Amino acid sequence: MTDPAGQPALTEALGRLWVQFLPQMEERVAILESAAAALAANQLSIEQHQAAHAAAHKLAGVLGTFGLTKGTILAREAETLCSAEPGPGSAVAARLAQIAAQLHAIVQNRK
Amino acid sequence: MSRRILIIDDEADIREVVALSLETVADWEVVTASSGAQGLASAIEHQPDAILLDVMMPGMDGPTTFRELRNNPATARIPVLLLTAKVQSTDQKRFADLGVEAVLFKPFDPLTLSEQIAAALGWGECPEPNPGNP
Repeated sequence: MTDPAGQPALTEALGRLWVQFLPQMEERVAILESAAAALAANQLSIEQHQAAHAAAHKLAGVLGTFGLTKGTILAREAETLCSAEPGPGSAVAARLAQIAAQLHAIVQNRK
Repeated sequence: MSRRILIIDDEADIREVVALSLETVADWEVVTASSGAQGLASAIEHQPDAILLDVMMPGMDGPTTFRELRNNPATARIPVLLLTAKVQSTDQKRFADLGVEAVLFKPFDPLTLSEQIAAALGWGECPEPNPGNP
């Protein structure tokens, strides 16, 4: 059904798209990093909470499509942490920061 | 047989990867829209063979867009597949209850996305790219 001969072309084109959208990926990770820092300082605003939830959701949906399966798993965990209402408790700040740091490395290291 | 697919997703990266996947692997024609409202207009204009619809979008979300598509005689019969990053079983049940043809999940494998769509819609084997096809 699929065209195996098309795979190298697809991989190459995916690489180009990754470069094109890398700034967006970095921005989403930066939103998570900021939220984690704000949470640790007990200063997470509602806007930051909502932005972090949305950023985690988007990263979860897209990273695996670019072959970054671990990134999707981590982003899903961040999404779950950020889905708590009225917001994630400060107890999860360290874990959110850890996830954000790992996502940062994953996004930066994709070839 | 060539297919025309409409992708409705507010995220440009997802639209681009889906389009790349379907055009490169299955040689399908792809039309894109970045919002539910734009998607409705595009569905009426282009009459796609199927619609891939994101769930979480600002403004008109996926379920609302789906209902609008079903309520419009010009688009009511076009198969709709939800494309979502929501994987919890409660979400899946809610999506299935909407009446869409299928629910596909992000992340997806760009190499096999067209197979998933074809299987979900009973299209059988995807055609090999054929330059002679109109």
